[in-house]
Amino acid sequence: MADTTVGIPTVSVTVNGVLRRGTPEPRKTLADFLREDCELTGTHLGCEHGVCGACTIFMDGEAVRSCLVFAVQAEGADITTIEGLSAPDGTLSVVQKAMNEAHGLQCGFCTPGFVVSITALLRDNPDPSDEEIRQGLSGNLCRCTGYQGIIKAVKIAAGQSVAANGKAH
Amino acid sequence: MTDTSAAPTANTGGARFVGQRVQRREDLRLVTGHGRYTDDVVVPGMLHAAFLRSDIARGVINSIDVSAARQLDGVVAVFTGADFNAEIREHWVDFEGPGGDASPFRVLADTDVRFAGDPIAVVIATSRYIAEDACELIDVDIEPSTPVIGADAALAADAPVVHAGRADNIAGAIPAAADPVLDEIFANAAHVITETIDQNRYLCVPMETRGIVSQWDPFNQELTVHISTQGPHGVRAYIGRALGIPENRIRVIMKDVGGGFGQKMFMIPDEVAVVLAGKRLGRPVKWIEDRRENLMSGLHARDDRMTVSFAVDDTFHILGVKCDLIEDVGSFNAAGSSSIGFVGLLFPGPYKIQRVGFSAKAVFTNTCGRCSYRGPWMMETAAREQMMDIAARRLGIDPLEFRRINVITSAELPYTTAAGLVYDAVSIDGSLEQAVSMVGYEAFRAEQAAARAQGRFIGLGLGLYVEPSGIAMGNMSSEAAIVSISVNGDVTAVMSSGSHGQSLETTVAQVVADRLGVDFERVTVVQGDTAATPFGPGTGGSRSAVILNGAASQASGDVRTKMLEIAAHVLEAATDDLEIEAGNISVRGTPSKGISVTEVARIAYLRPQELPPGMSLGLESHARYTPNAPFTFSNSCHACVVEVDAVTGGVKVLRFIVSEDCGVMINPDVVEGQIAGGVVQGIGGVLYEEMAYDMSGNPMNTTFVDYLLPTATEVPIIEYGHIETRSTTNPGGFKGMGEGGAIGSPPAVINAVADAIAHLVDGPIKQPMSPANIRAAIDART
Amino acid sequence: MKPAPFHYHAANSAADAAQLLGDLGDDAKLISGGQSLAPMLAMRLVRFDHLVDISRVADLRGIDRNDGTLIVQAATPDVLVERSDVVVASVPLLTKVTPLIGHFQIRNRGTIGGSIAHADPAAEYPAVALALGAQMECLSVRGTRMIDAADYFVGIWSTSMESDELLKAIHFPVWSGRVGFGVAEFARRHGDFAIAGAVAAVELDSGNVISRCSIAMFGVSGQPERALSTESHLLGSTVGEISPEEVGRLAIAEVESPSDDANMPATYRMSVAASTVATAWTNALTEAHHG
Repeated sequence: MADTTVGIPTVSVTVNGVLRRGTPEPRKTLADFLREDCELTGTHLGCEHGVCGACTIFMDGEAVRSCLVFAVQAEGADITTIEGLSAPDGTLSVVQKAMNEAHGLQCGFCTPGFVVSITALLRDNPDPSDEEIRQGLSGNLCRCTGYQGIIKAVKIAAGQSVAANGKAH
Repeated sequence: MTDTSAAPTANTGGARFVGQRVQRREDLRLVTGHGRYTDDVVVPGMLHAAFLRSDIARGVINSIDVSAARQLDGVVAVFTGADFNAEIREHWVDFEGPGGDASPFRVLADTDVRFAGDPIAVVIATSRYIAEDACELIDVDIEPSTPVIGADAALAADAPVVHAGRADNIAGAIPAAADPVLDEIFANAAHVITETIDQNRYLCVPMETRGIVSQWDPFNQELTVHISTQGPHGVRAYIGRALGIPENRIRVIMKDVGGGFGQKMFMIPDEVAVVLAGKRLGRPVKWIEDRRENLMSGLHARDDRMTVSFAVDDTFHILGVKCDLIEDVGSFNAAGSSSIGFVGLLFPGPYKIQRVGFSAKAVFTNTCGRCSYRGPWMMETAAREQMMDIAARRLGIDPLEFRRINVITSAELPYTTAAGLVYDAVSIDGSLEQAVSMVGYEAFRAEQAAARAQGRFIGLGLGLYVEPSGIAMGNMSSEAAIVSISVNGDVTAVMSSGSHGQSLETTVAQVVADRLGVDFERVTVVQGDTAATPFGPGTGGSRSAVILNGAASQASGDVRTKMLEIAAHVLEAATDDLEIEAGNISVRGTPSKGISVTEVARIAYLRPQELPPGMSLGLESHARYTPNAPFTFSNSCHACVVEVDAVTGGVKVLRFIVSEDCGVMINPDVVEGQIAGGVVQGIGGVLYEEMAYDMSGNPMNTTFVDYLLPTATEVPIIEYGHIETRSTTNPGGFKGMGEGGAIGSPPAVINAVADAIAHLVDGPIKQPMSPANIRAAIDART
Repeated sequence: MKPAPFHYHAANSAADAAQLLGDLGDDAKLISGGQSLAPMLAMRLVRFDHLVDISRVADLRGIDRNDGTLIVQAATPDVLVERSDVVVASVPLLTKVTPLIGHFQIRNRGTIGGSIAHADPAAEYPAVALALGAQMECLSVRGTRMIDAADYFVGIWSTSMESDELLKAIHFPVWSGRVGFGVAEFARRHGDFAIAGAVAAVELDSGNVISRCSIAMFGVSGQPERALSTESHLLGSTVGEISPEEVGRLAIAEVESPSDDANMPATYRMSVAASTVATAWTNALTEAHHG
């Protein structure tokens, strides 16, 4: 738990493999801590009340909404943000490549949250059914794509074939 | 100069990239979380703003006490209307021009509040957290009075006025013109069908809310503004006039913007307050609109009522139409609030209706103001297409047959509408037939009958429309491009646009690459910075394919011509004998006799002695383009299949088909993506989304818990049919289509639901079509 | 949309959490998964001087089968309930309802105890607890006590726990024999709180007579509702004797104060509820029949 012995709690958290320390006030969300203290602005704030999913990150291996976690609650946690999913030289992950191939983004604001969620979804269910894909995506909101390219991206990333007009075989 | 040739020629470039599903340039930074949205901008010394807003819809402000807020540790300043309102010199946007007192405006509410969410004070502090704490310490004494909620209340004889000093709550009106010919048509018609159709208030909801970072540098006398907008030049001009700062001392930057849909086309007073605060303090100030603000006070849309009458003869031809529209534009009718003019202009849409009587009123209410949401005039399609189905059923004819009888066919082009619009190079009947064929209309009717016998309610609805894309009027008349080839042969296209999801970095590069004959990878598109890019009205209005690419084509064409002349001189050939492919200029048939684009560039910049005599140096062109018509019409037909649960009233959208003709498609992925986004916004607006006010003027849906957006589980796979009828208004043959998805889908969905329960319910169903409203309609069994 | 300030205390055990609650009084609030509390804090709908974090307390996390009882520690994330073999073998109704809760990202953090203690009338876990007659193990500085589910939920977001009590664990009775379970709900969108829903449990004897049954509804009023009279009516009847539609009608008739507002009239909501009862009941019977 947060070290409170000096009066101001220090939070130590591993982010994308790097140990980060900070002294966020207790009410500062993990999302804000990542964006401001860690200067990782890929995690976005779309609603700040846990519905849109734009702030989704990996915390101890599970996809969570970082706007609903206080930074002090992440003491000792292992965090992966969107920035941690591609290689340092810019090589895209399978999911990121699929999103590009499938035209799964337009304005890009919801995209980091989707990429994290899809990565989690496929890790736990590598060959999802159509219904499982949609349910797995239902916790992230998009306003530009109508979800069409995103659903297609999941199928491509899962190695499923996709016919013209986005229908699976 | 406009090139209206029918097909691309050797001199206009090939089609290696235009028409292809080229993967987007933007994606690398966006899928990896390295985009730069306004909240990602951090400037040294930056402060944060938060607004205190009225939670009362209408009332007189007796006092505002900010003293406690000012004391809070971390608060740098608190400003009110008394500090800012008098600072505004002029308030008007390029789109509208100076309007006198037509649009009431103030930066911060000082004397009274006029909607729940009206900003009263702005706190500037070292963090947003502290700024919000300080807002809670501001003491405002408001004496509430009965607000005007809903158009009926606004138009009532004894209605209180939303804006003191005005005679009534009419923000704008088109009075009914006397038309004895139309009256006679109605008097003699075999059938007259009249209905009143409502459209609920719903919102743009871009995933990124508004944001602005404003920085006044007194030592350079320069204002730098990072803003989540749809066009930087409009912001620059507006701020320049409002604050009295010369435009050439203002730099407005938009890098990545997370959607706009019309909501970010023009500034709101809140953003102006931030600029004023920053200037007053001499410190950079950031404001990020939170989601509650975005929903409550970030500008609304739709909220219309139209009464439509069809006069139909005994062979089901619509002879005349009367319609009366009432738009609720909220309390402050900012630019783009009202579309009554466009609705009247476009109403007959895809049908041969030669006599139209149109009247309208835009009314003020004590609610949030209105913006131009994707297809802002779309009530003409929403109401008309619903009327087509309602009238058809009353007349005892299938809605498809009714449309077929009245639709403008390709044989009848060019067609001049009752309002004087000329449709040409469209495929209205073609898209209707393609959609109907894709959905399997006849087979569906059989399936529907069988299902109904089993107590299952499935329905099919159509939405047919013509879209006025590439609107070229007033400030929207042109776009510009500066295309240059550098010393090393790389191409830059500096554009007047403000892309916020439209993939312009990719599609413009496709057009330029083809025009110049170079590889797509050689072209970089620059936009969104007034220090670098030429004037544009901002991206919206389905204009980029037509107008922006018109400019890109023109500028590229100029550069191509110059390249060919230099190459012809070097190769001692005629320009007509040369072709450019993948960055190589060669004599047709003799590929070995060639010169690279890079080499031509080197000559153009470094070795003037090798240029043709009299030719200037450089390979660059600045072109400003206007299409040869004020509208470039595209068309589409939407077909939607739904199942309605008789007990819950729940609707499942089973299929959604769109047949679209947007001329030559630059990038089919982009076209389909734009259609899909609009369609799902329409599905949302009809089935899930509503911004409702209670009678005290409290907005009821101010978070995503109550304002419901469709998710991946609520939408089907959308099926697309493409028709490509080359446009004649621009050399590329392109048409715009960005708004259409949101125009045709609402009536398609509504008609599908109505069709599913047509044996139980006659007439319009209360909007939005929530499960409870559908069940109530079934229970009422008209 | 930032929360008001608070002091933060990370409890290191259940007893520590109880002590903190005892010391800090009404100004303190427990936070476990935060999926319900954090949004309310962000919107400043609520504020507390102190948050006591139990999300990383080892003795508040875990699932154990103890003879005829499944004991789930309160701060166990929903996802562990969803994936647990012990749960599906012991109280499959929990396994059935969990995927209906929000979205998987919510379930990764949200906890079963958090849901039950938050007592949203449209939540699934409280209805399961009520239907199965679960016992809530509650801890305070005064010690431990058990509250029966029938006495636990008292109104919208209200339980009968004292303000310094924390929910330590939920004890679910295990049904064995020819049993079947079902859940059905109607929501606007996948993962939303239900407009109305129902859970059902049934035990059949060898002659297809209903020897035991439970039906609870959620979303219908200010708290989950148990259809006790309907259950009595069903006991001793043969499968099919009373139609599922009749079961639905009987169940909703027991709701004394159905939720009612202009947007969602009670008649509509109860009609939907009846339909979900019928479906949940049918599913439970089908499972028991084939089991």
